[in-house]
Amino acid sequence: MRDKSIFTLFLVIVCFVVTWGVFYPNFSILITSFQYKENWSLANYQEIISSSLILRSTWNSLYLSVLTVIGSAIIGTSMAILFHFLEFPGRKVFAALAPLPLLMPPLIGVIAFIFLYGESGILSRTVARTLALSAPPWRLNGPEAILGVHIYSFYAFFYTFVSTSLKQLDYSLLDAARSLGARPSQVFFRILLPLLRPALIGASLLTFMNSMASFSAPYLFGGGTPMLTLQIFNAKVNSQWELAMAESVILAFISIVALLLLTRNQEKTIGGSKGVSLTSRHTIENPILKTLLLFIGIIAVTIILLPPLTLLLISFAEDGKWTMEILPPSYTMANYLKVFSSQNFLEPIYNSLIMSALGAGVALLFALPASYLFTRTSFFGQKALVILTMVPWALPGTVLGISFAASFNSPKFFNAGIVLVGTFWILPILYFLRTLPLVLRSTQANLEQMDENLENASRSLGASFFYTLRKITIPLILPGAISGTALAFATAMGEFVTSVIVYVPNSRPISIEIASQLRAFHLGNAAVYGVLLTIIIAISLIIGRRLASSGSNYT
Amino acid sequence: MVIKPIKKFGKYISLLVIFFTFLSFANCKKDSRPSLLIYSPHGTELLEVMKARFEEKYPNITVRFLDLSSQEIYDRVKLERSNVQADIWWGASAITFSRAAEEGLFEPYRPSWADKIPENSYDSQDRWYGTFQTPEVIVYNQAAVQNEEIPKDWDDLLDTKWKGRLIIRDPVRSDTMRTIFGAMILRQWHVDQKPEAGYDWLRKLDANTREYTVDGTVLLQKLARQEGVVSLWDLPDVASAINRQKLPLAFSIPSSGTPLVIDGIAIIKGTPQLKLAQDFYEFVNTEENLLIAARDFYHPPLRTDIDKTKLPEWLSKIDIKPMPLDQELYKNNIQDWMRYWDSQIRNQNNR
Repeated sequence: MRDKSIFTLFLVIVCFVVTWGVFYPNFSILITSFQYKENWSLANYQEIISSSLILRSTWNSLYLSVLTVIGSAIIGTSMAILFHFLEFPGRKVFAALAPLPLLMPPLIGVIAFIFLYGESGILSRTVARTLALSAPPWRLNGPEAILGVHIYSFYAFFYTFVSTSLKQLDYSLLDAARSLGARPSQVFFRILLPLLRPALIGASLLTFMNSMASFSAPYLFGGGTPMLTLQIFNAKVNSQWELAMAESVILAFISIVALLLLTRNQEKTIGGSKGVSLTSRHTIENPILKTLLLFIGIIAVTIILLPPLTLLLISFAEDGKWTMEILPPSYTMANYLKVFSSQNFLEPIYNSLIMSALGAGVALLFALPASYLFTRTSFFGQKALVILTMVPWALPGTVLGISFAASFNSPKFFNAGIVLVGTFWILPILYFLRTLPLVLRSTQANLEQMDENLENASRSLGASFFYTLRKITIPLILPGAISGTALAFATAMGEFVTSVIVYVPNSRPISIEIASQLRAFHLGNAAVYGVLLTIIIAISLIIGRRLASSGSNYT
Repeated sequence: MVIKPIKKFGKYISLLVIFFTFLSFANCKKDSRPSLLIYSPHGTELLEVMKARFEEKYPNITVRFLDLSSQEIYDRVKLERSNVQADIWWGASAITFSRAAEEGLFEPYRPSWADKIPENSYDSQDRWYGTFQTPEVIVYNQAAVQNEEIPKDWDDLLDTKWKGRLIIRDPVRSDTMRTIFGAMILRQWHVDQKPEAGYDWLRKLDANTREYTVDGTVLLQKLARQEGVVSLWDLPDVASAINRQKLPLAFSIPSSGTPLVIDGIAIIKGTPQLKLAQDFYEFVNTEENLLIAARDFYHPPLRTDIDKTKLPEWLSKIDIKPMPLDQELYKNNIQDWMRYWDSQIRNQNNR
């Protein structure tokens, strides 16, 4: 009986937050999409259906997102498995550096990409000059470029989710299969992959939605490839706000269908983990295989590290000097000195740290009960709640920011009289809503992997609900929750598109500082902030990793 | 199986407590002086200078600003209509301003220098006034373009020798480029009142274009790095990149005439400190401050009563022939033209 009232309390809190923060502001998007010149109308949808450009954009967004998921899944999962099961020299370094691409700072990270892989980039020029070509053999442009940038930035979701999941697998199942004579490929496909299913589904969802809603990569590297997010942006610039909203509805709809398809038959995971982590890490003895793996590892880490290293180069290069050379012709500390000597230089860093910590911290506190409700119970409207919590992640940041700001800029009945526009609080709240799906999915993946009988056993042995929660459930899902929170924090630290709509003078985040340095052509200064941001996020991911592994201390 | 109690949980809680403590500090640093909030795309450096000068003159006032692009400012001001935040919007093209004025976002104000502003450079109902005039220019890489090759007029850009060497800022999202493209259509409009001749011109331009970049910063970087060697852009940005950032670029003013984009200022409707906003409005348009903006930030002033001899040398040296633009025609059609360009011309000719 007492359980029930606790569940009800959880449910009321979750419902309130979702209704107030997601349903209410985003419902206006749906309403607006059915309006044309202030009348109810289907005109926007008719325009979408009759426009070959918009249809082509939708198709491009869809197939590129599917390819992004496949590519990220292959790379992220195989890296996680490789680093988990095999012991070879340098493994720890590789494993620690693998999620680094998550850290590429906004805007200036893109410049780093251009300076590296672009036509006049370090790599392109090196190749062109070595082979004595008049032009580099590739251009960082078009659908392939979008796909490349997407996979580079999103495989970390798979890597993080699968790594966390692997730490808590029930390895006795694998050993049993092996001793019964299963071939390694059979163990992989029949045992390991099904066990990793919750993690893979969670990561696929986040990657697919993020890729559908991705704006910067198509905008910067698309070379005119029509994509749905770009059409939304163009419609907005052309003051066709209703059309932009209708296109956003289509975009969100596709993401929601993907969510429903991916989670359609979530049968109980067979052989859920008992939290017994008996990792038998195989040491590679074969010298050829050892060298090969080391080689692959070095190449992977080089590819991962090149963009941040290019950023570091830009931060030490003199503005305007590095034009025709492969590497900067001269190095200077001037950019760092200029940034460090400006009197307000810590302010954007400090603002971003506080707002991201708040956003991610509240997301953690919220995700623990919410994930429990979503996986361990079933109630009327559960699916709708699950979908709604994911909506802020599935929408383009600009749309989310504008619809949220429009809903909270004056006291109304539905926003409970709370005015957020013009206050410090709107950004932490948006960071919370936007990054909640990361924590939620990561926690849920962990929870789904766990055997429910552990909790049942505890209860039947007389432990109270809270005692079970505190001693069994939370310790078991904390690794997932914490690694999700670290992802959320990193995402919030680099957030730009939503922030630019609603920040106020005393909540000016670091991404805005980078943008304004860039607008004034201070590439070097922007790069200094980019480097600082990268360092901060790297530290936070390392701390998250430490906390997550200390949380899963079972014997 | 034994599960160790999570010792770290207390640590997480204490971490959270620390963050909240920090936060309370963050909200403490409020200034008690009345403050003025400016939205402006003119860049932090110009804004810092004007802030310092204004605060010197009005020691009881503090000026705060948000450095945003004019499109971002437009979105914000519209959003904040029922909860007004900013007092002044300083900087956007006349087109953007007249759109915002028609949507009722501005408080009318007639500045003391109103009659010193040329025709068509202000709102007839005083809702906004022009401050700077921004000429569009042809910009090229000095190291890669020979003296005799330098394109001197618009039509020079269509020469096939530039095929694959032109690089242009994506016009759909840029007021500067929309103005240039619109001007190219309007230039030939008088023939048959149709955009077709202009479309043909743009088609040939597209055939020479290697890439459309996402913003001015990337455009000028790519020009300096010779991914392309010729482009079109506005004078203040180009001059600033050449003189302040030392990029190896140079520019020429199209000889047949170039569109001048009027850049303006307006007071946001609903500001609680109208008088203060008006003071700032007047202040940044005094001769002294306009000369600073011209000398250090390359914004040619619009006021006709500025002493020509005091203008910076670079500005008095160049010869700008304005290209007349039919503002009404432009405003009513530019969206359709850009949509046509986007779907029928972009990238159709060089792949």
